[in-house]
Amino acid sequence: MDAHTDGEGSTEDAVVSLSGVYKVYELGEPVPVLDDVSLDVPRGSYTSIMGPSGSGKSTLLNLIGCLDTPTAGEIYIDGTNVTKLSDAERAMVRGEKIGFVFQTFNLMPRLTALENVAMPLSFRNVPREERTKRAKSLLADVGLADRVDHKPTELSGGQRQRVAVARALVNDPAIILADEPTGSLDSETSRQIMRLLEALYQRGNTILMVTHERDIAEHGERIVHVLDGEIERIEQLGESRRTPSVDEDAASAGEDAPEGEAWTS
Amino acid sequence: MSWRSIVGHKLRSTLTTLGVIIGVAAVIAFVTLGASLQADIVNTIAGNNQDVMYVSASSQTQGDIPQLGQGGQAVFTQYDTAQIRQIQGVQAAVPVGGIATAQVQYRNDSVGRQWVTVSRPQYFQLKGQRIVEGRSYRPGQREVVLNRPAARMFAENVTVGENITLVKAANGQPINATVVGIAEASQDGAGALTNGAQPSIYAPTDPFYERTVISPNTDEQQRVYSQILVSAVSIQEIEPTQGRIISYLTDRSDARVLKAEGYQFEVTTYDQLVDQIRQVSSTFTAYITGIAVISLVVGAIGIANIMLVSVTERTREIGIMKAVGAKRRDIMQLFLLEAILLGLFGSVFGALVGISGGYAATVLIDLPLRIRPLWFVVAVVVGPLVGVFAGLYPAWSASTVDPIDALRHE
Repeated sequence: MDAHTDGEGSTEDAVVSLSGVYKVYELGEPVPVLDDVSLDVPRGSYTSIMGPSGSGKSTLLNLIGCLDTPTAGEIYIDGTNVTKLSDAERAMVRGEKIGFVFQTFNLMPRLTALENVAMPLSFRNVPREERTKRAKSLLADVGLADRVDHKPTELSGGQRQRVAVARALVNDPAIILADEPTGSLDSETSRQIMRLLEALYQRGNTILMVTHERDIAEHGERIVHVLDGEIERIEQLGESRRTPSVDEDAASAGEDAPEGEAWTS
Repeated sequence: MSWRSIVGHKLRSTLTTLGVIIGVAAVIAFVTLGASLQADIVNTIAGNNQDVMYVSASSQTQGDIPQLGQGGQAVFTQYDTAQIRQIQGVQAAVPVGGIATAQVQYRNDSVGRQWVTVSRPQYFQLKGQRIVEGRSYRPGQREVVLNRPAARMFAENVTVGENITLVKAANGQPINATVVGIAEASQDGAGALTNGAQPSIYAPTDPFYERTVISPNTDEQQRVYSQILVSAVSIQEIEPTQGRIISYLTDRSDARVLKAEGYQFEVTTYDQLVDQIRQVSSTFTAYITGIAVISLVVGAIGIANIMLVSVTERTREIGIMKAVGAKRRDIMQLFLLEAILLGLFGSVFGALVGISGGYAATVLIDLPLRIRPLWFVVAVVVGPLVGVFAGLYPAWSASTVDPIDALRHE
């Protein structure tokens, strides 16, 4: 998979394409956060974005996630120019093309795991039966078939994040945006989530992950280093990328066994 | 999801809807009570004799509420009564007059100034007033009928077969009379609105009534009365008969000559009286309902208030929903639905509480229960409207939450 692009508009196989994006916050005086950022994320790629706090990586993710609009420049998501879209249209893009995974899980506290996963479909007027069916199968995929009726407070951190991943997948998104997906988890559950993301990548999903941990970032095929609102450099990892070992998989057995099976089906 | 939020905060939701419950309950209870009270008054006055009308001549300056039973100038001669009896649509007509007494004596006790209503024996039947003991008086006999309050107004209760003495106010002449019947305490006309059951004494015109005049039509000396009690052949016949009586009175009657300048004939039906009572009690009910509506407004403010708190509290959830594709309209719908549900529960529950309250009140003061189904429909429609009204601003403010800020919100 070739990660190289020349930054000229959207290419056929780029899921996300930014060209000359500026973002300036007006806080009394203008504060530049992103300064002429151009980036292409190829379809089916696994990209990490790294940078210290305040580097602008969160803003970059918000722009790609259609939660925010750039001050200047253009952003294409799956071939759609989202720069000039209305509020409702951006909401539609979020619902159809983007799957979010957050550091703090961001599940609805009063809804069960099943309802949380099914929720994005309800905003697209998918019939209830189909919503439930799809959510159930996704929860089974992430190994939570026996936890569908549990509320987030009744689940462990790792289980919550897996519910969040299932929710991100429910709309069959063009890209999965993971914002510090292991930031609130211990090392063991972090490994579980990374294995889950790896499996998604192997199945052809496009993943864009923001993190400030080097060892987590190394799971991607390439690392985009962001500093002071600019892309400092793009590091291609190629063969040296870190992949969660099969041994680890087998070691943690039980809970993860159904996952492995599910991917093959 | 709106439902979840309501169930998730049971106490809060209950307290929030309490405002609407009280408002709707108050409206329904007062309307039910008002309707029942009105039905009771109408029943008391009109009873089952709604085909009856009173013919009288009275001054125009008298009040709006028609006077039944008493009052008016004595202008109707025996000739007039006989003529009215011939009018098409009239089933029966009896003259009604009155004698003022200075005193009524029974054994060693006496009661001052009583009005004796004189008429024919059919008077009770026509008025629908039941004689609960004994019988009606016979013409030409010194017999009287007392109503229940009158039978009890002396130191000792009067029973059928005993004698009482009437002292006429005009000449102080005492007349002995035998009590032959006790009638129920039916009220005459508007008196029922203001007084409780008043004592009444009823006597035959002959031999008690002595007011006479020379009839202009017949040139004979005839008894003259202040009223004629007329019953129509059917309720449908009341209006045309009323018109025919008026035209007889103004064209050919004795009364037309005898009545004083400025007096005019009135043929008052119970219908008209009942209409006026309805008007009065409706005004009263509207007034109380108005007060109850205020509490409904307070209830709406309560819902708006709690919804605003709820929006702030759920900012993060709103952010999540927006991140996974919820449009402003979706968020708005969610919060509006919650407010509408709160309003709906409030109104349905309030209607039930209201009808129970109304029922309890009618049982307590012994009124016939009258339920107005329309008000339930109104309540059930108004509840969600209150919800929309109260939830509109909170829902709008929820829909405009910035997802980035909301997701950062703890």
